[in-house]
Amino acid sequence: MIAVELRKLVTRPRTWITIALIDALPTLVAVLLALTDIGPRPGTGPAFLSAVLSDGTLFPLAALAMVLPLFLPVAVALTAGDAIAGEAQSGTLRYLLVRPVGRARLLLAKLVSVVAFVLIAVVVVAVTAYVVGALLLGDAPLSSSVSGTALTQQELAWRTALALGYAVLAMLGVASIALFFSTVTDSPQGAAMGALAVLIASTLLLTLDASQALQPYLPTRYWLAFVDLFRDPILWRDVLRGVVQQVLYVVVFLGAAWANFSTRDITS
Amino acid sequence: MIVTSGLTKRYGQVLAVDDVGLDVREGDIYGFLGANGSGKTTTVRMLLGLVLATSGDIELLGRPMPRQAAAVLPRVGALVEGPAAYGHLSGRANLTLIDAAGAGAPRRSRRARVDDALEQVGLGQVAGRKVRAYSLGMRQRLGLAAALLRRPSLLVLDEPTNGLDPQGISEVRELLLGLHGRGTTVFLSSHLLAEVEQLCTRVGVLDRGRLVLQDQLATLQQPTGRTVVRTPDAAAAHALLDGRVERLSGDRLVVARIEPAELNRRLVAAGLRITELGPERRTLEQVVLAATTDSPVVSP
Amino acid sequence: MVAAAVVLLAAPIAVRALPADDPEVPAARLLVAAQASGTVAYSGYVESSGTLQLPVTDQFSEVAGLLGGRSRLRVWWRSADDWRVDSLTPAGERDLLHSHGLTTEWDYEAERVTTTPRSEVRLPRSSDLLPPELGRLVLADARPGEVSALGAETVAGIDAAGLRLVPAERQATVDHVDVWMDPDTGLPLQVSVFSADAAAPDISTRFLELSTTMPSERVTRFVAPPGVSVDFDDVVDVAGAAQRYAPVVAPRRLAGLGPRRGGLGRGAVGEYGRGVTAMAAIPLWENSAEPLREQLARTPGAVVEADGSSSLSVGPLELLLTPEAFDEHSWLLLGTVTHPTLERAAAQLARRALMVAYP
Repeated sequence: MIAVELRKLVTRPRTWITIALIDALPTLVAVLLALTDIGPRPGTGPAFLSAVLSDGTLFPLAALAMVLPLFLPVAVALTAGDAIAGEAQSGTLRYLLVRPVGRARLLLAKLVSVVAFVLIAVVVVAVTAYVVGALLLGDAPLSSSVSGTALTQQELAWRTALALGYAVLAMLGVASIALFFSTVTDSPQGAAMGALAVLIASTLLLTLDASQALQPYLPTRYWLAFVDLFRDPILWRDVLRGVVQQVLYVVVFLGAAWANFSTRDITS
Repeated sequence: MIVTSGLTKRYGQVLAVDDVGLDVREGDIYGFLGANGSGKTTTVRMLLGLVLATSGDIELLGRPMPRQAAAVLPRVGALVEGPAAYGHLSGRANLTLIDAAGAGAPRRSRRARVDDALEQVGLGQVAGRKVRAYSLGMRQRLGLAAALLRRPSLLVLDEPTNGLDPQGISEVRELLLGLHGRGTTVFLSSHLLAEVEQLCTRVGVLDRGRLVLQDQLATLQQPTGRTVVRTPDAAAAHALLDGRVERLSGDRLVVARIEPAELNRRLVAAGLRITELGPERRTLEQVVLAATTDSPVVSP
Repeated sequence: MVAAAVVLLAAPIAVRALPADDPEVPAARLLVAAQASGTVAYSGYVESSGTLQLPVTDQFSEVAGLLGGRSRLRVWWRSADDWRVDSLTPAGERDLLHSHGLTTEWDYEAERVTTTPRSEVRLPRSSDLLPPELGRLVLADARPGEVSALGAETVAGIDAAGLRLVPAERQATVDHVDVWMDPDTGLPLQVSVFSADAAAPDISTRFLELSTTMPSERVTRFVAPPGVSVDFDDVVDVAGAAQRYAPVVAPRRLAGLGPRRGGLGRGAVGEYGRGVTAMAAIPLWENSAEPLREQLARTPGAVVEADGSSSLSVGPLELLLTPEAFDEHSWLLLGTVTHPTLERAAAQLARRALMVAYP
């Protein structure tokens, strides 16, 4: 079943259009930066964007910082929201289930296919950004950390890998929420909107001092903590919290999705 | 093949299916009749484990459902409430995907199975075309092909001729009869009396969630013991058979408590002209109407 | 499922709500311990928040951020002359590294390194928000009669002993300051400053993580990344610049307040008061004073008097900018003293400036 879902993922044109769209933004930014050589004013742009003018090897991170707050979660919410609800809406869900495909198996296969989507999207963005950064942007001999210390190529590579892994995990949290909504409704758009509503509410509450007690539980709270991986020494505090939090989100929402889906009447 | 007892589904306050005891035997072509909204589809979905029953038991192929769905469903082909397929893929790709989903379909013989199913429903010519470009009838055939992929011993078909033209309907009928001839039991739900009457050997009628009738079609259409006479001299015949005529409408009389041969003799002896004389048989429509308007009676 | 979720959510709250062990050390001893904690080396993670909305001009934007927002700080403190404080922003950081009398500021997003010599007069900076620094500042001149024990609270995993300071001066605008400290070392771990009848603190800063082992030397050393040039700046900021280049000199005593102990020697800027009751008189050239005056005129809550002086009150902070004097300078008076105190000071300065304008 997992193979079937992966095949569906890669044969669907929408997958590649979405990834191309996600990828287009950082590429466009790189071209603009290379042409104008104007970086963002301090405190205004996404992380690392000012640094890439002199050091293009940081561009995968700048690209990640650009797509992580909005593009990537929207794409993931749409894909994961479509997982069950999309099959329900097109009517194919009932035929898969009477095939028979066990409900837990189907959910698992859908999860794996969403994970694959997240991985493909993140890797494509990172690789494109690396190539674009190397071709168009600054070629400083040595990269520096956010704290101003020098980073060897090797250090930069594994910190970047950690950051990408962290982003994937953050998106898995989104995917679990969307997957849960996808088992609740028969409308893929509704499921995606539900997940996005959670994320938007979370982002909004994060700006509110009154919600401080709530903030450690908000799903977007630690998303941008991957920047902390590039401080020297690395600030693990928020990264670790982010990891634990996203794992909890994945466990709770997947559990809820499974509990709901395995006992639900399929009337679509 | 299908046995249910006390099958009940309640949606909140609404009782969608109420104490249904289906009995479909091996070799039947079972017509499951009912108006739209009578609970037919809910029953079909419960049989296939899509909707969970509020109470009651289901046995498919001798095994309890939905507990043993994994063992039962591979031997069942189903078409539920219209076909469904991925529009951006071809008909063949759709069948390949559905065949690959779920265990127990060997990869090596997949192509042969898919081709065979496509051939059976007459879609061989257009199998490479994207389903998005299919007509309603072609989609219906594709759905049938998906149901036939594993050469099931039980077919559960919900309105299988929906959207087909008369030519297509007759092709599907031939297909089902052919499959039946090779030993497949067919459970066919429909709201079309004529379809069921032409095809089925056994009939169940669902009315507002209750199974009001279930019997062999032949039994339901048995002579009633009354005789129908058509004669231009209806008034004279009525007078002659005083007390035995149950109904008189135009030139048609329904006569009870007399043998047809004896009746014929008397009428001819009285010099009456007879156009037609024979035993009364009820049409399925009459049977169904009688069952659904009267207080519900389930025949054994 | 729901129960599990509730447990997951409630566990951290419950752990936080566990009562801390009260070490029950007398207030006077806590005060002495805190005042003597300057030699303790530590490293950790600090979050501070302020509710004081200052009017923002370019020169004061950093101060406004420190007092009026939330700051996340990392600190490695080897000694008062060898430390590093990182002020974390979502997309970068601004680091202060201090050693051998030189302070280096690294701004990642601006890719800028600035080195400045130690200055006696400067505006508040991120390192002043560290609980040990702020705690020692407010407790520096406190008398035993002004403090009382508060009981214990858990701060950064330590059962910290609480001390409340209520300043005795009638000029004070700070109602009280609560300091929680490590009972063993006296190191302040959390400091909250309250103005009169405020329910929430105006400024609060606390450790969320703390280690009292000596941080590594490597961490506090700064080597400018390749390709980034280092600026040397003789004066730290406007206050430091005023101290050196101002046209006038502040008097020794002002508005009934004496010179601040351990404060400046001779210079243009005057520092007065004691502990949390502090006042500074900063002479400003008009090119610094005018933008500030314009900003004040636009700031809600700021008052422009008939004589041309502008004043603003933000929580316990009082600020007064005198009208331009005949020789193109103004006095910026600010501190945690009452508004009438600043007015008295302004009047004294005006009289005095007329008499002796130059040092």
